[in-house]
Amino acid sequence: MALRRLAVGLSLAALVGGTGPAARAAERPPQRIMSLNVCTDLILLQLAPKDRIASVTFLAPDGAKALFPGLADGIALNHGSAEDIVRARPDLILDSALGSPLTPTMARRVGARVVAVKNADNFDDIRQILRQVGAAVGEPARAEALIGRMDAALADLAAHPPARRLRVVAWSGGSAVPGKGSLTDAIITAAGAVNIAARPGAAESSFGVEELLVARPDALLFGGASLGQPSLLTDEGQHRVVRRLYAGRRIAYNDVAHTCGLPQSADAARDLRRALDALPERRAAR
Amino acid sequence: MTSGSRMPGYIVTALAFAALVAAAIGSLFLGRVNISPAELWQGLLSPNANLAGLVVTELRLPRAILAILVGASLGLSGAVLQGLLRNPLAEPGLLGVSNGAAVGAVISIYFGLSHAFGLATPLLGLAGALAAGALTFAFGRSSTLTLILAGAAVSSLMSAFLAMALNFAPSPYAAYEMSVWMLGSLAERSWDHIFLAAPFIAAGLAILSLMGRAVDALALGDVQAQSLGIHIDRTRILALLGVGLAVGAATSVTGSVSFIGLVAPHLVRPFVGHQPSRILLPSALLGATLLLLADIGTRVIHTNTELRLGVLTSLLGAPFFFWLIVRLRRLAP
Amino acid sequence: MTRLAAEHITVRRGGRAIVSDVSFEAAGGGFVALVGANGAGKSTLLSVLAGLIKPDAGAATLDGTLIARMGRRELARRRAYLPQNPRAEWPIAVERLVALGLTPHLPVFGGLPGGLEPRLTEALAACDLAEQRQQAATTLSGGELGRAMLARALIGDPQVLIVDEPTAGLDPRHTLDSMQRLRALADRGKLVVAALHDVTLAARYSTHLMALKEGRLETFGPTAQALTPDLLRRIFDVEARITGAAGATLVDYVAPDAGASTGRSA
Repeated sequence: MALRRLAVGLSLAALVGGTGPAARAAERPPQRIMSLNVCTDLILLQLAPKDRIASVTFLAPDGAKALFPGLADGIALNHGSAEDIVRARPDLILDSALGSPLTPTMARRVGARVVAVKNADNFDDIRQILRQVGAAVGEPARAEALIGRMDAALADLAAHPPARRLRVVAWSGGSAVPGKGSLTDAIITAAGAVNIAARPGAAESSFGVEELLVARPDALLFGGASLGQPSLLTDEGQHRVVRRLYAGRRIAYNDVAHTCGLPQSADAARDLRRALDALPERRAAR
Repeated sequence: MTSGSRMPGYIVTALAFAALVAAAIGSLFLGRVNISPAELWQGLLSPNANLAGLVVTELRLPRAILAILVGASLGLSGAVLQGLLRNPLAEPGLLGVSNGAAVGAVISIYFGLSHAFGLATPLLGLAGALAAGALTFAFGRSSTLTLILAGAAVSSLMSAFLAMALNFAPSPYAAYEMSVWMLGSLAERSWDHIFLAAPFIAAGLAILSLMGRAVDALALGDVQAQSLGIHIDRTRILALLGVGLAVGAATSVTGSVSFIGLVAPHLVRPFVGHQPSRILLPSALLGATLLLLADIGTRVIHTNTELRLGVLTSLLGAPFFFWLIVRLRRLAP
Repeated sequence: MTRLAAEHITVRRGGRAIVSDVSFEAAGGGFVALVGANGAGKSTLLSVLAGLIKPDAGAATLDGTLIARMGRRELARRRAYLPQNPRAEWPIAVERLVALGLTPHLPVFGGLPGGLEPRLTEALAACDLAEQRQQAATTLSGGELGRAMLARALIGDPQVLIVDEPTAGLDPRHTLDSMQRLRALADRGKLVVAALHDVTLAARYSTHLMALKEGRLETFGPTAQALTPDLLRRIFDVEARITGAAGATLVDYVAPDAGASTGRSA
């Protein structure tokens, strides 16, 4: 467990987590599964039946509302604290690979296994994660079904490429823009568009209004306040030049499917394609 | 050591103004995107909307104007406060006004009030600044020392509220955004921001510019100034009001930018002498110039993530503190 | 002629009466020396007379008008006040410091109007500061600073000058110089009220003497008559001998246990 903690190299963690519990899961699947991270929450909710889920984080209902309403109802909520772990008495804990270092210690105390799930940066990662969690919770078949559905959606998108590859950027204020190697980038590519912020280098960088004007993307994507709370990003995105030039060319996307690697991320790509197809023709170039 | 004016006042003012204009022009031509001066000029002249013209009129020009307004507010506030408190370390942050403005603005953002109506953030920032100033005055009105102490106390209280806002942030993103906002920035500011903040900044600057006589008389101490007809209480209220309006509106638009208010008067004194009223206008001009230069710096220094204005001014301002100490040690055996 | 009057002035702080029921009347042309032990209430009384503190009872009037009701600028034009050990807080030039005395005469904006420049030069010359004009006030010697502050007080041509301990910390030459200037002012028709700790100076230069003991007025009158060993015994609790003719008076204190004389006699 300690080794896994040290491996912030995410793939190592996923690898170990993937092969280990497979044998054990064959005996009797975990009955009290606890998730300490909103992304693992949403995967867990889709894979395991409610009666085997002990607790999900307090952020899960909001995320679930956006994707599959009702699926989180009735499940106890936790805030990721040690007390929550003790109270829930789980036998399996799902956590992000970058979660609290306290988790393994607490897990040992209550006799639970910890499965560390990395952050997904592309669809391959999503497949890997689904299989990993599916095996851990004892629902490998369901995981494969979800993967199958996701792959079908992606294949469908790939089979019908758009007439023109539109240039877009996920921009809502300039300070942190998903670039190359981020999940948003993968979704944009799957939707048949080009992410103009995909520069080599950092996966997130600054992209100011000036750069935006010069780059002249066809549309702007912005994450809605899907976790329910207002934020400065949505406020800053309202620079009047942007409002003027991109009126009707701003496409909202569901934050959750872009931040967490989920099967629904493929649906996000499909939604994006639909929105791009619906864009009006660009006015004559200035 | 003579400390009469080294140069006639109007020459210093003219030089400071020239520096300001140069910095402003530089600010128009420099940015993260390279557009040659010729292109920019043509873009401005062309009657059709075009990229270069748009960049100048909608992005760089409002940014420069805002930098001038905010820098002038900070410089003038610092000069007035140093004269009022007879303390070379005084600056707008000392009386809790800057932090109060930050609290007001953060509250507006946190509760989404800025979506309800556009003026929310500057107004709440102002309200926060004035509330902090009033609190400082209420507790510290009896003497200069108590005023400084009360300012420190109010500043700490406002910091605590800011920390609380971070603590109870509804999401990690909100917390990140709040902390990043508090670092101060002029990026992506538009004419909207100017329309919102400028009236209040102008009002604050107007009040502060009337305080020359009072801060001069205070060079003789509270008692003699009072005997010369200066109303000490009213002077303190006006100073807090002026600083609150100007710095409050400025902070609510740009976030916390520090050290300009401290540094500008100090840089002006070797040229103008120590008479408090004579450093007011040059401090305003120099403050504006310094902020413009810092803003240009954030755009020209190439970094992946935006270099924030407040970070740059702090990195440059803190060493200035050290230099002040060294100079003090040399002068006072 | 200027008249400064006090009627039953009382000032209380923390339950105690610092100044208690003081009444007197002084006119222009007089130099009133205010003497008393430490803590007798001299500074407080001067602050009330200057209009800086409002008395808890009673009132001070200047030419019949209540000082407490007078407009600040008008009051500032008619009377000048110098506290104990006045200091300049910034190293401004002497000429600027002196020019500050014109504050009640100046508009909100702008430097010194051209018409007032000659007055500044005159005031500096009158206090022998022409050479130190550009010097930083914080680098002046005690005597020079004292003169600069006096010039600051006089440049506005006030009718009344109220000074608290003008000779504190000055060497003998500057002390005498200071006292001579104050007396000269009085001789020109101004009213000077000064708190002094050195009674000999009071004896030699003042026209009237006012003595406070624990906040109460012990005496007020022409110096020659008011100054007696009995008064000094009452206010200072020491034996004193007053010798010498007018203008060369010497006030001599006798140590309580000495018995025999310790000082020089005239």
